[in-house]
This record gives sequence, C-alpha cells and structure tokens, in this order.
Amino acid sequence: MPVVTPRFIDHAWRRGCDFIVIDLEDSVPQHLKAHARTLVKDAIDKVSRGGAEAFVRINHDSVQADLEGAVWPGLKRIKYPKTEYGQEVRGLDEIITRLEHERGIAPGSVEIDPGIETAVGVVNIYEIASASPRVREFGASTGGYDFSRDLGVEMFVDFDQFIYSKGEAELVARALGLGVRAAPFVANTTGSVSDPNRALNQARAARLCGFHLGGGGLNPAVVEGHNVGLTPTAEDIADARWVLEQHRALAAKSETWAEIDGRVIDDYEAERARDTLEWADVCAQRDREKSEAVARTRAAMQASQQQ
Amino acid sequence: MPRHNRSWLVVPMSKPGQIAQSAPCKADVIVLDLAEFVRDRDRPAAREQARSVISTAIATGAQVFAQISPQALDADLTACVWPGLTGVVVSRAESAAQISAADEKLGELEATRALSPGAIEIVAAVETARGNSDAYDIARASRRVSGITLGRADLVMDLRAEPSNEFHLMQYLMQRLIIIARAAGVMPIGAWWRAPDRGLLATPTNTYEAARRGRAIGFKGAMCLRADQVEPVNRAYS
Repeated sequence: MPVVTPRFIDHAWRRGCDFIVIDLEDSVPQHLKAHARTLVKDAIDKVSRGGAEAFVRINHDSVQADLEGAVWPGLKRIKYPKTEYGQEVRGLDEIITRLEHERGIAPGSVEIDPGIETAVGVVNIYEIASASPRVREFGASTGGYDFSRDLGVEMFVDFDQFIYSKGEAELVARALGLGVRAAPFVANTTGSVSDPNRALNQARAARLCGFHLGGGGLNPAVVEGHNVGLTPTAEDIADARWVLEQHRALAAKSETWAEIDGRVIDDYEAERARDTLEWADVCAQRDREKSEAVARTRAAMQASQQQ
Repeated sequence: MPRHNRSWLVVPMSKPGQIAQSAPCKADVIVLDLAEFVRDRDRPAAREQARSVISTAIATGAQVFAQISPQALDADLTACVWPGLTGVVVSRAESAAQISAADEKLGELEATRALSPGAIEIVAAVETARGNSDAYDIARASRRVSGITLGRADLVMDLRAEPSNEFHLMQYLMQRLIIIARAAGVMPIGAWWRAPDRGLLATPTNTYEAARRGRAIGFKGAMCLRADQVEPVNRAYS
C-alpha cells in the first residue's frame, strides 16, 4: 500500500494480514517521493499493530535515500524491484548493514527480497539470489505489469506464459535452500485484483501443490482467501495422520512402499504428511499471535479514548 | 554404438523373485536398484547377492544397469561391477565431482575384474534442485555418461499436481534436461506421470499417454516401476 495514503496505512492492522508491504515505488507519485520517505518509520509501527510483518518496497533508482528512510526497528524486509545484477544486492546489503549498526537493529536481521522483473534479471538470477545471506525467500514476480512489459508478454491469458522464468527462479531458490515463493498456474483472464473467490481458489491450489508462502495482494478483499486457502483444513490434517499411521505399519517390513486404498504409502508420502501437520501448527500459532496483537491494540486505543 | 533403449524397468536388488516375473514383459533395460527401494538395513545383504542377481537379469536378454547411491559409491560399485553389467544409474546425482569419483572407481574395478576400460556406462539421475541446477556439468563430467534422467524428482523435490494435473515445475525441468542432454550428447531418459497417478500406480493407458508426450518433447525412453508399464512404454517409443 502507498505510504502516502493515511487511510490505508492507519487501518492496515485491521486486515488480518501476515505481512504488509509499505510502498515507496509505483503507487507513490514522483513529486511525493521525498515526503513519502519521511513517513515510513511511523508507518512501520502502524501496520505492525495487528501482528503483521512490515516490508518496504523501495525504488530501483533511489536506493540510498529510500533505505535511509526505510530501515528502522520493526522492519522485516526490503523489497527491491527490477533487480538485474548481484552487485545491486551487495550494494543494498552494505547500506543496510551500516543502518542496522547506527539504528540499534539486530545485525543481519533485515531481509532483502530482490524482485525479478526484467529479462536481464532472469538471465542473472543465480548471482542475484546468492548475492547476500539477507536473501532468504525468493521467487520470480511473474504476472507483474513491469515484467510482462519488459518481456513483451500478454498478462491475462488462459495458459502459463511464464514457465521458463518461473522455473529458473524456483530452481535457483531450491538449489540455494531459500524459501520458495512460487505458485501453481491458475488463469486470471479478467485482470481482477480484488475477487475474493479467485484469491481463495488460487491459495487452495497453492496449498494442494505444497506451498506455504503467499505472494501478497493489492486489495484487502483477498486477504482472507489467501489466509484460509493456504491453511491446512481439518480433512488435510486427518488425512496426514492416516498416512503416518499406515507408514508406521510399513516400517517393520522390508518393502519400502505399499498400496493402500489405491494410494501409495512410502517415505515420500509420510514426509508430505509431516509437512502438513507442521504447517498446520505454524498457521495456528500465527493466527494466535495476530489475534493477541489486535486485542492489545484495541485495548490500548480504548484506554487512550477514555483519557 | 548408438542404442535406443526404450523401457528401463526398476527392480529392487533385494527382490530377485521380481526379475523372473518381469522377464516376459520384455524391458529393454532392467535397473537393479540398491538405492531407492531397498531399506538401509537390507542393503548389505542385497550387495552380497548382487552378482548372482545381475546374472539372473542378464539371462532374460535385457541390458542390466545397477542403481547405486553416491553416498555408498565404493560399496555399491564393488558389489555390482561384474562382467555383463552395462552400466550404473547414479541416483540423486548432485555434482560433477560425484560422477568423477564414480568414473575413477569404475576404472579400478574394470582393471581388476577383466572388463575393458571404459566399458561401464553411467546414467545420472538428477532428482534434487542442486542436481538439476548442475546437470550440464554432471552430464559432461565423464565420457562414461550415456544418459541423464529426472528419476523420481517429482517425489524427491516434492512437486505436486497443479490444477491442470501437470506436476508443478515439471515442464520446465523436463525441457531443461532435454536441452542439456542434447548439448552434452547424452540420452534424455523420461520418467514422470501426470496426476492423479504416481509412477508406482500409473495404469498402462496413462503410462502410454505420458510416454507419447515424453517422446514428442524429446525423451528417448522412460523409466518404469511396474512390469505392466513396459509394454506401453515400448509401444510409445517404437
């Protein structure tokens, strides 16, 4: 959300998000950029009040000034658009390291998310993703307006037009052991960014495909769909427990797999089941943290109104 | 000599009984596995009987490969490299260094066991992200490398079905592997299925469809996990 629009920033904590991206880039008009930088420190506090992590998206061409405005306690991650070379990421790392030191932020805690939105970025994707230990999660921002324009690709088609660049990004993320931000292909032929049903379907497909990380959205209407769709259901959890039960029975035998009710039970299926149960725990924990944060903020607001 | 091996049937080294059952299915290659379908505790016994199991498999008329683990390179190769063996499949290959190590050990064994130098081939199964990332170096790490395959990458990398029923990332990995194989001058060997099948349960009909698609995008042959998958693979790649 644009940092210069107070009604978005002030109410962000009520949206139930896991993270909020405070934007200095495309949603902020050129003549407001300098003013926008002065608002970030306060915005980080505001958007985190519901338990969300605060990210800041900076501009490709004013890195120094934007980082000075953005790197404050409470910041979780810098999103850097249109990355093309590893050197750019190392440059960001140096500035962030200095600011962490000067501003009492735990060293190395601020992450960098280098966005891949150009053809040059795809070509240099390995050096970009491996340029700094601050890069902990990675994925190509496919489907983005900038990326589609740079590649000359149409955006709203009914087939997966980004197989290569998405594949490159995901293979690199996996080879480097980074968090993988990827998603199965679900057609969006209308260009809608606020359809709650579409958000839910997309997030469900991602969960069934084994993914945990959402890519975020542009409208509060999609938040619930993303949260619900990416959370294991009661059926998922029951099924995972069943798989692990079958797998325990298999361990005593010399066969490495068994066919039970038309399904394969083996170490791979057991691993998937364990992953589902662990992820269900993480989701439950995150939901608790957020509702506690919201309750604290509500109580503090009531107290200040009564004074 | 260029060959066209269509079907590669994987049989656990610890289950020699399955070889006799598989013989009528006419696989071009029998892959005797020590890595994927044999439990850790059963491996020493499986290595003990490897030489005789290999002979049994050769008697069916198929070419015979042994599937070995890079983590047990010396033990597995020492157990399997005997006259009659065509090659080894290195499961979960991740680096050119592993292939060089296998090359060296194979050279030693060829010298002491009356095999002609360089006779034993290597097929590298790149099943992890690291292995796929380094696949070109892996394919060129030794002149023995005759083929490269994704093996069970769908499971090792946990690639699940997209709404389209394609396994996530698989189209990219398959095309990448085929380009690398052609560039390195080795055979790209297919082995994948579309959801809802897993390789172990793929029906003959679905196997045929997957193999036809595989042939169309450039694979030369495919791995099979069940005897009834061999005929459709042979048909699709003939």
